[in-house]
Amino acid sequence: MEKQLIISVGREYGSGGHEIAEKLSKHYGIQLFDHNLLDEIAAKKNVKMDHLKELDERHKNLLSSRTVRGLSNSPEENLLYLQFDFLRDKADAGESFVIVGRCSETILKQYDSMVSIFILGDRDKRIERIMRLYHLTESQAVKKIREKDIQRRRYHNSFCVRRWGDCRNYDISLNSSRLGIDGTVKLLTEYIDSRRK
Amino acid sequence: MFAQVVAIIIFIAMFVFIVSEIVERHVVSLICALLTIVFVFGLGMHSMSAILETLNLRSIFTTEFWYLSGETSGSSTGINWETILFIFGMMVMVEGMARVGFFRWLCMRIARLVKYQVIPLFITFMILSTILAMFIDSITVILFLAAVTIELAQLLKFNPIPMILSEIFCANLGGSATMCGDPPNIIIGTSLGYSFTDFVTNTGVIAAVSLIAVLLYFYLIFRKELRADVSEPVDYSSLPTPESTITDKKGFAVSCVIFAAAIALLVTHAQTGLTVSTIGCIVAAATLITSWKYAVDLLKKVDYNTLLFFIGLFVVIGGLEQTGILEIMAAFIGRISGGNVMVMVAIIIWLSAVVSAFVDNIPFATTMIPIIKSLSTTYGVDLSMLAWTLAMGTDIGGSATPIGASANVVGIATASREGYVIKWGQYCKKMMPATVMVVLIAMLFIYFRYL
Repeated sequence: MEKQLIISVGREYGSGGHEIAEKLSKHYGIQLFDHNLLDEIAAKKNVKMDHLKELDERHKNLLSSRTVRGLSNSPEENLLYLQFDFLRDKADAGESFVIVGRCSETILKQYDSMVSIFILGDRDKRIERIMRLYHLTESQAVKKIREKDIQRRRYHNSFCVRRWGDCRNYDISLNSSRLGIDGTVKLLTEYIDSRRK
Repeated sequence: MFAQVVAIIIFIAMFVFIVSEIVERHVVSLICALLTIVFVFGLGMHSMSAILETLNLRSIFTTEFWYLSGETSGSSTGINWETILFIFGMMVMVEGMARVGFFRWLCMRIARLVKYQVIPLFITFMILSTILAMFIDSITVILFLAAVTIELAQLLKFNPIPMILSEIFCANLGGSATMCGDPPNIIIGTSLGYSFTDFVTNTGVIAAVSLIAVLLYFYLIFRKELRADVSEPVDYSSLPTPESTITDKKGFAVSCVIFAAAIALLVTHAQTGLTVSTIGCIVAAATLITSWKYAVDLLKKVDYNTLLFFIGLFVVIGGLEQTGILEIMAAFIGRISGGNVMVMVAIIIWLSAVVSAFVDNIPFATTMIPIIKSLSTTYGVDLSMLAWTLAMGTDIGGSATPIGASANVVGIATASREGYVIKWGQYCKKMMPATVMVVLIAMLFIYFRYL
């Protein structure tokens, strides 16, 4: 049986982290979980979750949530726990997968088979990429990057002790602007392969 | 003046920190209690007697704390140790009942009695939620009911959310019916000297009338959503039998006896003279002695954080009381109502309901007790009527939003962790009209019965 491999990819918006995760998933022939995670959970639990997509990777609103004996009414937090449980079940079952974001580097930390990666990028390269991908003006791209990074940081930091993007939280933090997407993927596969030996 | 300002600042800060959840609420209330003792009573009032009165330790060593030979006026000053001891005792008893599988057995038994039919299940679980919450804390009631509802929903293929929402509402409604159903009622009862029977014959009647309206309301709005998917046959054999949910048969029988005794002691406490603190100690001792092997585990499971929260809270409210802030607030309510009792009742019930919908109703109820006492003295209004008004407002108002009451949070979380995520809008759309309806019923009932 193939040795288990879990790759957790955290990313700055516009750094190409998602594309890198896709390429790693293809390279190792393992499943990729990103926005599709909710669909997977919905299918497994036989429930509808389309209306919850807007809450995915969102921090909990302190004013509209309350915790009682460790249980919270926050839909964002409850969605997060559903995702945590789903990922842990997969990991416990020995399955290999790539997971993008969702505090995965923290919640799957106890699995030796996990490689945690954080992809960052130079500001100008990220702006250029977002302008190209979404046909935005520079100011629109700057705004989008700022909003998305704030959203990801708040989401991550409201559920994890270690800060989002803090290099001590990941096995490897890499600037994709230096080697480009393919170069970064190549370097990462070399690292992952060395780890698996 | 300095003491008053500081007392208000500490009180507001406590509310803000409780709502923000940056620090756990028991830590917040204990720190605020310490600040109240140092800055309000110490530096502000230079009054050792205010500290001693608020800590209220002396009351524990009086006969009245354990046994009442006649009428009592209760005490609303300082830490209400009677409430703390009673809640502790009930927590131990409930943990004992949960250990032997009592709640799961009861739910499964009722489900089997109605032959697993969705609408009868829906109605009976609402009634069960109401009745259980009259005697047991609503958190425990909803924890078990919601879990069983989801289990049944998955098997019978219906949407559990309408049923869980209805159960939450009924748990809060049931809590309003008795003195021990909801913490604000225990605090109101022990502070103002009302008995279990007083509550049942007043708020209990209002809750019973409201229950009929609530059953009808939830049936009408949820009947379509509750249709089970009958496309596939249901495999009832995968459901546990009621008997199989009992984990300890002997312990189960003992738990049933202790629970029945607790109800009997509560119902008759005005006649027997036993105070709720004595009853709390009796049920805790009975549970621990009969389950001595598990006594340490049961004691570990008690929610001490809530008890500590209460202790801190009573001190902070004591600060407001000792500095005369609550009397000023009472005078303000009296002024805007122009001394008109109907307006006073309307203000108290709607203010309590609205505030309880967004913040913890326990601090609010505790704050309001000295206020209604002052209103009663100043304007000659019947104190018991104001007490029932306050109890109904705080108990029912909490149902309106997901954060209004502990049962709401627990029910929503239990459903959400199984994939049935409930959002604010979805919750409020169904629960707010029900809350308004019941508060209105309660207000009209109070008008017709007492005025």
